[in-house]
Amino acid sequence: MNGKKLAYYPGCPSAGTAVDQDMSTKAVFEKLGIELAEVEDWNCCGAAEAENPMLVYALNARNLAIAEKEGLDIVTPCSICYYNLERSNIALKDDESLRAKMRDIDGSLDYKGGIKARHVLDVFVNEIGMEELKSKIEKKVSIKAAPYYGCYLGRPPVTAFDDPDDPILMDQLIELIGGECVDFSYMKTKCCGGPLMMTRADIAFEMARKVLEAAKRAGADCIVLACPLCGMMLDAKQPDIEKALNIEIGMPVIYITQLLGLALGIDSKKLGLDKAAVDTKEIVGKVV
Amino acid sequence: MGIAVVGGGVAGITAALDLADAGYKVHLIEKNAELGGKMAELAECRTGLSPYVVKVKNHPNIELMLSSELESLSGSAGNFKLKVSSGKEVEVESVVLAPGYDIPEVAKSYGFGSPDVVSSLDFEGILRAATASETGELLRPSDGKRVKRIGFIQCVGSRCQENEICSTACCAYTAKEAWVVKERFPDTEVYIFYMDIRVFGKDEELVAELKDKYGVKYIRSRVPEVIPEEGALTVKYENLEKGTIEQLDLDMVVLAMGLLPSKTLSKLAEITGVKTDKYGYIETSITNPLETSVPGIFASGTATGPMKVRESVAQASGAALKAAGLSQRTEPIPGQAEYKFIEVGEEPKIGIFICGCDGEVSKAMDIPAVAEQVKELKEVVFVNSETNTMKEAVEALESGIVDQGLNRIVFAGCSPREYEDMVRDACARAGLNPYLLEFVNLREQCAWVNEPKEATEAAVDMLRMAVERAKYLEEIPVERYPVIPKALVIGGGVSGMNAALGIADAGYEVYLVEKEPELGGGLRAIPELQSGEQAADVLNEFVEKVTSNERIKVYTNAKEEDIRGRAGSFKARITGEGVDEEIEFGACIIATGAREFVPEGYYGYGKEKNVVTVSEFGRMLTGKVDANTIVLIQDVPGEGVDAKYSGIEVVDGALRAKEKNPDANVFVLYQDIKTYGKWEVLYKEAREKGVIFLRYDKDKPPKYEAGIVSVYDVIFNDEIQIKPDLVVLSTPTMPAEENERLSRMLMIPLKNGFFMEEQERPKMVLTPVDTVNEGVFICGSAVYPAMIDECLAMSSAAASRACVLLAKDFLETPAVTSVVDELICSGCGVCVDMCPVEAIELTEEPVPVVTFGVATVVGGTKKVAKVGDGCIGCGSCASYCPSGAMSLRYFKDRQVYAQLDFAV
Amino acid sequence: MPIKTWELDPNFRNEIMNEPGGEHLAACFQCSTCTLGCPITEIVPSYNPRKIIQMSLLGMREEVLSNPDLWICLICQTCTARCPQDVVVSDVLSAIRRIAEKEEEAGKLKIESPRPLFDKAFLHQLEKYGRLYDIGLAKEYYPKKEGSFIKGMRAMMKDYKDFGMRMFKKGKMGPKAMFPEKIKRTGEVKKIFEKIGD
Repeated sequence: MNGKKLAYYPGCPSAGTAVDQDMSTKAVFEKLGIELAEVEDWNCCGAAEAENPMLVYALNARNLAIAEKEGLDIVTPCSICYYNLERSNIALKDDESLRAKMRDIDGSLDYKGGIKARHVLDVFVNEIGMEELKSKIEKKVSIKAAPYYGCYLGRPPVTAFDDPDDPILMDQLIELIGGECVDFSYMKTKCCGGPLMMTRADIAFEMARKVLEAAKRAGADCIVLACPLCGMMLDAKQPDIEKALNIEIGMPVIYITQLLGLALGIDSKKLGLDKAAVDTKEIVGKVV
Repeated sequence: MGIAVVGGGVAGITAALDLADAGYKVHLIEKNAELGGKMAELAECRTGLSPYVVKVKNHPNIELMLSSELESLSGSAGNFKLKVSSGKEVEVESVVLAPGYDIPEVAKSYGFGSPDVVSSLDFEGILRAATASETGELLRPSDGKRVKRIGFIQCVGSRCQENEICSTACCAYTAKEAWVVKERFPDTEVYIFYMDIRVFGKDEELVAELKDKYGVKYIRSRVPEVIPEEGALTVKYENLEKGTIEQLDLDMVVLAMGLLPSKTLSKLAEITGVKTDKYGYIETSITNPLETSVPGIFASGTATGPMKVRESVAQASGAALKAAGLSQRTEPIPGQAEYKFIEVGEEPKIGIFICGCDGEVSKAMDIPAVAEQVKELKEVVFVNSETNTMKEAVEALESGIVDQGLNRIVFAGCSPREYEDMVRDACARAGLNPYLLEFVNLREQCAWVNEPKEATEAAVDMLRMAVERAKYLEEIPVERYPVIPKALVIGGGVSGMNAALGIADAGYEVYLVEKEPELGGGLRAIPELQSGEQAADVLNEFVEKVTSNERIKVYTNAKEEDIRGRAGSFKARITGEGVDEEIEFGACIIATGAREFVPEGYYGYGKEKNVVTVSEFGRMLTGKVDANTIVLIQDVPGEGVDAKYSGIEVVDGALRAKEKNPDANVFVLYQDIKTYGKWEVLYKEAREKGVIFLRYDKDKPPKYEAGIVSVYDVIFNDEIQIKPDLVVLSTPTMPAEENERLSRMLMIPLKNGFFMEEQERPKMVLTPVDTVNEGVFICGSAVYPAMIDECLAMSSAAASRACVLLAKDFLETPAVTSVVDELICSGCGVCVDMCPVEAIELTEEPVPVVTFGVATVVGGTKKVAKVGDGCIGCGSCASYCPSGAMSLRYFKDRQVYAQLDFAV
Repeated sequence: MPIKTWELDPNFRNEIMNEPGGEHLAACFQCSTCTLGCPITEIVPSYNPRKIIQMSLLGMREEVLSNPDLWICLICQTCTARCPQDVVVSDVLSAIRRIAEKEEEAGKLKIESPRPLFDKAFLHQLEKYGRLYDIGLAKEYYPKKEGSFIKGMRAMMKDYKDFGMRMFKKGKMGPKAMFPEKIKRTGEVKKIFEKIGD
C-alpha cells in the first residue's frame, strides 16, 4: 500500500444494487484517513460470465494498467472483482509472453505487473491492522453475527487471503467491534447461489435458503458479508426466496463495511443501511 | 574417531546400536529430550521400542547427546568435524542422517475443530486409554458418548498438491487401527474411506480379513469434509455402484495422516550439504538407496522418503554398514570379556535391588515401605532401593555384590526384556555367576495394573516369591566358543551380491553360492530400471566388484547342503559342478530372490501371440512396438504373491509405451494402483501422458474374447470394451524353489513360500532381516518380492547384522538348556520326539547302579537321552518327560515349586 | 450397453486441454473430492463433475457436450480449492462449456440451458458500454431465452416486478440505472472482444 492512498475499483453493482456497499466503503476509508482514488474509466472485470481466462486477463489488464500509471494498488469491495483483478495480475506479472499478447490487443492493456489488487477485508485486517482499527473505534456494536464469506476470499488458492474452509478475518473484525460470531463454520464459504440466479433460479434460491436458514438456526441477528452478489442474493432477493419457497426468514444482511462504519461512529444513513431489503433498524439499534 | 548418527528415532537407534555393537564409537545426536522419535508416540510400538532405548542409553560405545542439534559440519569423508548446539565438538569418519518425519497440517474442512476428529497418531493414545479404562469402552472425546460408528479417512495430507507423493505407511496402519477397534470394541461399525489400498503380504491379508471377517466397510472416496452437526460428524461419499452420493453420520473420525520430511531436514541438508529432492527428502537413488550426494554421509528411514517402520529399520542397519565401511573399530565389543566367578555355597546371602524406573515404579507404590518389609526376610542380607535409573541400579548392584558378599540376587524394576543382559553382565563383572539372579517386573506386572496401595502390597508379595526362588538358584557354567569370521551368502542376485560386498568390505571372507551358471538373478530379465538406468550396467558393476573382490569366493552352478551348527559357528557343504567342499562360517544370509509366475492359459497366454507378460513387454519396449491399442491387465490370478514392484512395473510400462508412441491408446486395468511412495509421480505422469486407467473388481475380472477385452469399470459403473493389438499381463510373483529346502534345513518358517512370517516373530518390525535362527539373516525378494532399492537396503542391513555377529571373537553357548539325570532316564524317547530343533538323541550307556548313595557300574547298557549343542532351552522335553529325568537349567522344579509354594 | 472405446473420440481430452483452463484435465485420478464437496450436487444429485471428467478422459465427446449438467456449475471454486491433483475443475468445466458453445455455433449441438445466452448477453453489455447495463442485459437475455420479445418481456416482468419495485423503493434502482453507464474509451474494450471473442 502506497502511503495513505489507494486506487478504488467500485465494480458494476456499485451504481445500483450495491450502492450501499459503495457508500459504506467510501465512508469508512474516509474516516480511516485513507484516500480512495477511483480507477479512471474502469471497465467491468468480466464477473462470472466471462469464462474464457484470456478475456478476463484482457479486461483486467486494462484496469490494472490504469491504476499502475498512478502507482496505486487497487482495492475493491467486491469478491468477484477482486478475484478477477488479482488472478489477472498474478497471471500477467510473471509471464512476459502473456503481457505481450495483451499489448498486441491494444496499447491500453500494457500492464507491467507493478501493483496488486486487494479486497477491502484484506486491507482492513492485514494492511491497516487490528491495532490501528481498534484505536479508531468509537462505538460498540453488540450483535450476534453470522460471518458469511462466500466463494472468493479463501479460494481458489491462487488469490485466497483467508482459510478456504474456515476463514477468520471477518470474525476478527466482528469481535473487535464488540460483536459475537455465531457458530457458522461450515456455512461460511458455501456459495449463495448468485451465479445461477438468472439461469437456474430454483437452484440459486435453494442455496441461498440454506445459508439464510443456517444463520437463523445459529441464532444470528444478522448475516455479515463482503460481496455484492451475495448481498443481492441474500438480502435483495430474500423476499422473493421467501415467497417462492413459502418460508419465512427475515434475516437482516449487512456488509462488513457497513458494520465497521457503525463502529467508527459513521451515521447509518451515510452507510446506506436504510437501503437493505430486509430491515436493519434492529442492527443499527445495537450500536452503543 | 567414530560415526555420528543424527536423529534418535527408531532409525537412528537401530543404526547406533548396530555400529556400537560391532565396536564402533557412536555419537548420537537427538533434538528432543528423549529418544524414540515418532515411534515412541505410538502406544502399541512404544513398549516394543523401549528395550532398544534402554540399551542405547547404557551402551558404553554410544555417546548420547539429547536436546542437541547439529550446528555445523566441515571436512570430508573419513574426517568430519561436527559442532553440536550444546557446544560440543566431535570428529568422525562418517555420518548417518536419520531425522525422521513430520505430519502435515490438516484442512479445516475435516471437522472444523471438532475434538472428535483426530489424527491416527492421537487415536493410538485414545485406543490405549479406552482399553485401560474402567468401562473398557471406546468413548468419543467431546462428550464421552460411546463410539458406535467410526470412520477412517485415508490419504489426508498425501497424494495431494501440497504433498504429491504417497505416504506408504497409512494404508497399513489404518488397517491395523481398524483391526484393534474391531477386536476390542466389536460392536463398533468401522468405515474406511480410501482411494487405493496399498498393502502387501501380511497387511494385504489383514485388509481381506477386515472386509470379510470383521465387516469393516472399505469405501472408495476421498472424503473432503467432515461436518459436525447436531452431535454427529457427517461425511459424504460416492456410492459408485448405485451412482449416488450418500451421507453417513459418524461418532468419531480418524484421519490417516500423511508423512512429510522432518521440519529439521532442510536445515540439516543445508548444514551437511546433502542434496534434497523436490519433495524435500534427502536425495538418494534406487541403485544407491542409502548414499547421499555427500560421500561419507548416509541417509536412512523417513529422511529419504515415506516408509513403514520395517523399511526404516532395514535402511538404518544398511546405512550403519556403509558408515562403518569408512570408519575404524576402536571400542571393545560388549559381552566379550571373560570373567572368573566366585564359588558360592548352598547358603544363600540374598541381595534385593529395587529400581524406581524413572518414577514409573516409584510413583506407583511406596518403595521404602516395600524395602522395609523384605529386609526382614531370613535370607535377605541387603536391600538397596535408592536407585532410579538403570545406570544407578547397575552400579549399586556391582558394588553391592562385592561389598556385601552377596551370592543370590533379586532385581526388581521395569520389564527384564529391557535390561536382562545389562544386569547379568553387571553380576558377571562383580564376579557372580549371572544366573544366580532373579528378576521381578514391578512396572508392567505391578505398577501399571494396581492402585498405589495394592501395588505396595503386591510388590512385597512378588519380591517374596522371588526370594523363595532365588534361594535355590544354581550356578550355570558359562561356556564360550570362537566365532568363525566368515559368512555364507545364498543367492547371487543383486541382494546376495550387495550383501557379500558389504561383508567383504567390512573385512570378512564370504562364500557366495548361486545355483545358476551366472550371477545376476532376477534383474537379468529386466532391460531398464524405472530410473532409466540400464539394468545390465548396474548388474555388470556388481558382478565386476564381486568377482574381483579377493575376500569373496563365488560358486556358480552350485548349492549349499547340510547347514548345521549355531550362530558364529556353522558348517555346510557346497556341491555343484566340480565342487564338493566343506565350509565353515559364522553367519549366513539368505538372498534367494523370487521368480515370475508364467500365466500359461490365462487370457490366451501361450497360444495367442499378442498376449505377453509385463517382463516380456518390458523387453519389447527396447525395440519397436507394433501396437496401437495396448491393454495392461494388473492382478492376473495365478500362483504367488503381489510383488511390491508389480504395480509400479505396469504403470511404468504403460508410460513408456505412451512415450514411445503418443498416439497409442494405452489402457491399464487395475484393482488398486499401488505406486507407493515417490512412485506416485509415475502414476500422475502416466495419466498426464494419456494412459487410461480402468478399475475392476476382483470378483469381475476382465475378459478377452474374440479380440475384445471387456472390463466392468467399477468407477464408471459400466462395461467398457477395448479392441487391443497387444494384451500385457501382470502376474503374481513366486518364491524361489529352494526356499522350501532352506526353510526345513534352517528351521525358519515360510509364509506363502517367502521368509516373511510376522506371526512367528512379533518383533520382526524392529529386526526385519533377523530370523528365529540366530546367525541366519534374510534379505531381498526372498523375504518378500520388492523393488531394487528396498532389496539393496535390506541386503546391506543383513550384511550389517551379520557383521555385528562376526565382529565378536567369542560367543557364549546358551546357558538355559536342558539337562538329563541319567540315573532316572528310562530311555523312552518322548523327549526326542518333542524337541522342536532335533537336539536330543538316544545313546546307549552303561547301566549304573546306586548302592548306599554311590553309583557304580555293573555291566549291561541302557538307552539314555543326550542333549546336544542345538538345545534352545524351550523346555518342551522337561515338561513331557514321564520320569522327571529331564530338567531345564534355571527353571528346575525345586526353584519353581519354591516360588509357587509361597504364592499359594 | 457396453461402452465401445473404438467408437469414442480419444482426441477429446486434447481438445479440452488445448482450451485455456482445461490444461490440467488429465491429472484427475477420480477421487471424488470435487463431487463430494460440491454444493450443487447437494441439490441436484445427478450433477457429478468427477464423472464429467472421467467421460471426457475416455473420449465420450457427444455425451459430455450434450450433458445439461454442464451448465449448472456455480464456479464457486470449492472443487478447485480442494482438488488434490490441481485439475482446476471449475476451469476445466468452463473449457468444456466453451467447446459446447462452439459446437452449437457450428450447428452441431443444441444447448438446452439458457446460460450461454445469458453469458453472451452479459458480455454484449461490456462490449458496448464497458460496464454492465442491467436493463440492457435483461432486454437481450429474456427474449432470446423465451423465444420471442413478448414472451421474454412477460417472463422478465414475472421475475422482476416485485424485485424492481423493491429496489426502486430502496433507492437501488433509481433513474440513473435506467440508462447505461458507459465508459469513456469504449473502443479499448471493444478491441478486446474483437481479438478474443466471448
